[in-house]
Amino acid sequence: MATEIVELEGHIVDSLLLAKVLDLILESGADYRIDEFELGKTNIDPSRTTIEISTDDDALLDALLEQLQVHGVNRTSESDAALVTSDRDGVLPTGFYSTTNLATDVRVDGRWHSVENPEMDCGIVVTDTQVRTLAMHRVRVGDRIVVGFEGVRVHAPSRSRDMRNFEFMNSDVSSEKPKALLIEQVAQRIRTVKERGGKVLAVCGPAVVHTGGAPHIARMIRDGWIDVLFAGNGFATHDMESNVLGTSLGVSVAEGTPVEHGHSNHLRVINEVRRHGSIAAAVEAGFVTGGAMYECVRRGVPFVLGGSVRDDGPLPDTMPNVVEAADAMREHVPGVAVALMLASTLHAIATGNLLPAGVETFCVDINQAVVTKLADRGSHQALGIVTDVGPFVQQLAETLCT
Amino acid sequence: MSELSWGRRYLMCPPLHFGVLYEINPWMHREVAVDRDRSAAQWEGLVANLRAAGAEIELLEPKQHVPDLVFTANAGLVDGDVFVPSHFRHPERQPETAVFSEWFAEQGWRVDDLPEEIGHEGAGDALPFEGTLLSGYRPRSDVAAGPIISEMLGVPVRTIELIDDRLYHVDLTFCPLDDRRALCAPMGWDEYGRKVVDALVPEPLWLEDDEALSFCANSVVVGTNIVMPVTPARVGRQLEAWGFSVVESPVDEFLKAGGGCRCLTLALDVTLG
Repeated sequence: MATEIVELEGHIVDSLLLAKVLDLILESGADYRIDEFELGKTNIDPSRTTIEISTDDDALLDALLEQLQVHGVNRTSESDAALVTSDRDGVLPTGFYSTTNLATDVRVDGRWHSVENPEMDCGIVVTDTQVRTLAMHRVRVGDRIVVGFEGVRVHAPSRSRDMRNFEFMNSDVSSEKPKALLIEQVAQRIRTVKERGGKVLAVCGPAVVHTGGAPHIARMIRDGWIDVLFAGNGFATHDMESNVLGTSLGVSVAEGTPVEHGHSNHLRVINEVRRHGSIAAAVEAGFVTGGAMYECVRRGVPFVLGGSVRDDGPLPDTMPNVVEAADAMREHVPGVAVALMLASTLHAIATGNLLPAGVETFCVDINQAVVTKLADRGSHQALGIVTDVGPFVQQLAETLCT
Repeated sequence: MSELSWGRRYLMCPPLHFGVLYEINPWMHREVAVDRDRSAAQWEGLVANLRAAGAEIELLEPKQHVPDLVFTANAGLVDGDVFVPSHFRHPERQPETAVFSEWFAEQGWRVDDLPEEIGHEGAGDALPFEGTLLSGYRPRSDVAAGPIISEMLGVPVRTIELIDDRLYHVDLTFCPLDDRRALCAPMGWDEYGRKVVDALVPEPLWLEDDEALSFCANSVVVGTNIVMPVTPARVGRQLEAWGFSVVESPVDEFLKAGGGCRCLTLALDVTLG
């Protein structure tokens, strides 16, 4: 899509020039957005507006801009982004533009191009066909990287109209709000994005299993409400432990009491899954017969298990190389519209770093600090819900899976 | 109802060197010869009619090689003791700017220039109506001139698009009559311009297309007297019903160059803002 920012200044209201220009834009088949508007105080003062015009193709935009020029519409005098060619793999040029997770445009050859996959803390690479973010380690010699701030513009985050429902809970972290109402609202958001073809991502920590939430996650996966799962070694391990041995970290999920020699239960499960070679193989062999990981395998829901330095085993599916794990997670980000961060600190923050700002993120944790930390990292559309994750996912599953 | 506060003192230029020497509007055809004696007689007739209506006439000395100098309406904009000379679109008329500027400076006017890149053809493309300047753009003047003139002269400007090449200046489409009325030729404007004029003029006399193309809007109003190049019957009746005295002053020799009575005059007693 081609876009151009233009200015129109003068007695554009009284002379109906603004109305005319906007009509001409729409009549040509292009679209517009008023970026700024300053109304002159008196009928002598000029009014001023900047308008973003977007069209499907460059030729239409050029023709339209030429047509509008006679009515006083001028391109804003902005310059192209400076590009420097990378001379070393995995290294961005000095002075590289460091990205935010907000929708971003880059001006190349006099035209604004949307960055395809907004992600924070990356560089921006410009190819002949696209402009996209690029994590530092993925830079290759010859990549043309944006340096400096010229020719880069970032769109301020805005809550979508649908998010207005949430405005009454404007505090980003909500611990003193009626939970049933919150859960109903979350469920409604999930229904809405699913209807539009958006994906729902769940990021789960082991506490989901410890608090008895795993079967409800499994149910939501089975019923098609969760499209991608990110977790660590612990969640997957305890989910399968609870299925195979009925415990989570040695504590009976049904009774809530420790079982004898239970501390080694999760190690025995990891060991058997390693014997099978993968979680999928363990499911196929009938070793794992239910739970979240089982449903993922059964339904073909992709999951990424990112490893960490204190992992037991780890499971054969756990990716010990965290850079590769983050890359694997990146592959699943496009299309995600809702992210549920469920009692996870490490993986929730890692995921928050990868998501564009527009993804609606619900962060559920018993610890307010986790929720605050995620919001502090720039995840603008994060709504924190301070509550016990087990009952939360149970109610969410009951609301959705009816 | 009160008379226009301006229009009793005009600058005119005798048609000594007038002729159709080039073609910069659809009315001009070089093969059509101007009858020198006839044009001189018509111009003298116009002067006489204006004086009879109560106007004072000041004269600009004609110059060779600038035949359109007779169309003094395009000299520039007058506001009290300030004169803003025109920036002509066509190179053929651009030498006129220096001639007009020199005259105004000599007469004690302060001459304020538009930015070099901004085109505007003076009172031909901007007429005052009740504290607002109605300015035309596209064929001869730039839309960007509006806010600049507004700031220079401290007057609100409404800028409307002229869409018919035959009515290439706003003074061919609009003629203020008093503080409520004006001759208006909507065929010369786009739909937005029509709405702007509709909102500006309480009692417009809307001209039919053939009336507009007769150049009857290119008339000179001196108090309650109107000196018109032609007077379509319906228009004449309405003007008389409103209490105006209509004098017809034929200038068809000048129509060969696309100008009427108004084009041949520049009001010197205009105070804007």
